[in-house]
Amino acid sequence: MAYGGAIAVALVRARFDRWLLVPGAAAGGLLLLAALVTGKRLLGVALALGGATFVAGAAGSGRSVDATAPLVAVLLLLCGELAGWSFDARLRIRADPGLGWRRAAATALLALVGLGVATLVVALSAAPPGHGLAWTAIGAAAAVAVAALGVTLARR
Amino acid sequence: MTRFTSERVAAYTALGALGLLAGLALGRVEPVALAAPFLLAVVASALLGEKPEVSIRLELDRETALEGDDIVVLAEVSSRRAVARCELLLELPPELELEGSPVRALRLPAGEPQTVEFVLRCERWGAFRLGPLLLRTPDELGFRSWEGSGGSPQALRVYPREETLRSLVAPLETQVFAGNQVSRVRGEGIEFADLREWQPGDRVRRINWRASALRRSLWVNEQHPERNADVILFLDSFAEVRAGGRSTHDNAVRAAATLARRYLERRDRVGLIGFGGSLSWLLPQTGLRQHYAIVDVLLRSDIVHSYAQRGVDVLPPRTLPPKALVLALTPLLDDRSVTTLLDLRGRGYDLVVIEVSPLEAAAPAPGDPLELAYRLWRLSREAMRWQFEQIGVPVVSWRESAPLAAPLEEVSAFRHFARPA
Repeated sequence: MAYGGAIAVALVRARFDRWLLVPGAAAGGLLLLAALVTGKRLLGVALALGGATFVAGAAGSGRSVDATAPLVAVLLLLCGELAGWSFDARLRIRADPGLGWRRAAATALLALVGLGVATLVVALSAAPPGHGLAWTAIGAAAAVAVAALGVTLARR
Repeated sequence: MTRFTSERVAAYTALGALGLLAGLALGRVEPVALAAPFLLAVVASALLGEKPEVSIRLELDRETALEGDDIVVLAEVSSRRAVARCELLLELPPELELEGSPVRALRLPAGEPQTVEFVLRCERWGAFRLGPLLLRTPDELGFRSWEGSGGSPQALRVYPREETLRSLVAPLETQVFAGNQVSRVRGEGIEFADLREWQPGDRVRRINWRASALRRSLWVNEQHPERNADVILFLDSFAEVRAGGRSTHDNAVRAAATLARRYLERRDRVGLIGFGGSLSWLLPQTGLRQHYAIVDVLLRSDIVHSYAQRGVDVLPPRTLPPKALVLALTPLLDDRSVTTLLDLRGRGYDLVVIEVSPLEAAAPAPGDPLELAYRLWRLSREAMRWQFEQIGVPVVSWRESAPLAAPLEEVSAFRHFARPA
């Protein structure tokens, strides 16, 4: 459903351009294939294709920024998470009932924070480029923070 | 413990990098916005899932069981730090069946031991080691997990379920020690055997006064003494026929365990010869200890395929004492066993062949092209049985559906009508 929502948003934005129907359908087919046959291997490709469909649709619509991008991003992330959960659930495991709720809560939290981050990215893109020392300092600090985060994560 | 990362993390990392590159290349914010939640997930995956410090203690509710019994395995799991999800897998041999899923998942609060119960059904006899438990602790979102094992292995012995036997095959010859078997020879005992004329040295209490009065001379009673016997269980483990989870070897082991217990209860000396790809033996002894020794050897017995030529000569001489009753439990599938049994009879042993029938398990469906071959095979087996019977060896067939007492009664009947030389 999440994946269908993301593709639908992309197609509506592009006014059902027939060139976008092909990658959209291919992405859906890949996801179906991943869910039924190959497992996790094709999931990343299906998500990338879905994202590409949306970006192509957004670029083709002529608008400078598509405000639905955070929603599509979260839908794609949810799609990946729910697919991963369903793959895990294929193993016959007798689990405490509370564990399912905890994972659902963690997934929802990740999606909410992801929505916030994506919205922030889109909002920040509206900032005037090259104007003001404050924005430059914030940008530099963000770049340093990302680099530090990357190093920290790599060392864990 | 070993750390594993889900394939999703690699996919999300690639998606994030692709989005950033696409944003840079296209000069649009949408790819970056699409990449942001995935990069957030990658960061979350690195922050979640610390190495757990889980300790496991395995415990069985008992160490021995009979076939068909249920065994409870308790696993006490504890951790210093809280673990979001702890998955436990109890690996089992095929002879033990677990009720429900073999994998259990639970949450471990810090410092609070949790107990997981596995109920096992012992489907087949054998000696097993249960444990260690395989452990997996994924984080809340399943991005990363730690895998390892814990809990010291526990020994479990599943004894074969025994048959009910009212009577046993009586040996033709007994030994010199006291037992419950009425000997064929005459001497001091309870069972009346015959009358004979008094001879110097006969005790006065043995005089039969009624017979003496009738015959006007002293006559004494003769009795059969109660003696014990040497019984050798000959277990043929060269080959088996297996179908539907049951095999001829399983049944032979059950029969051997039953016969060993019953003969030992009668104070006979019982020995065991496992004759097959791997050779094993136990010298004849009496008592409860010997029963457990025999069952232990039986639990370890298995079919080992071998091309080695084996005969009686490979057996230590003391495993086959003179005048011993040899009860052979065999599917009569391997020529080496057949030759050895014929050789034993040729050496004068009191031999009984209990054929653990492989016919039902090997029977083809009606109309199967193998039906003709099956009939020829049955004919060759009949010829083999005839060969045994010609030298005075009773060959009785035991099918799993029938009680073991039936073939033993058949042996007694055979001996009644065809007393071997």
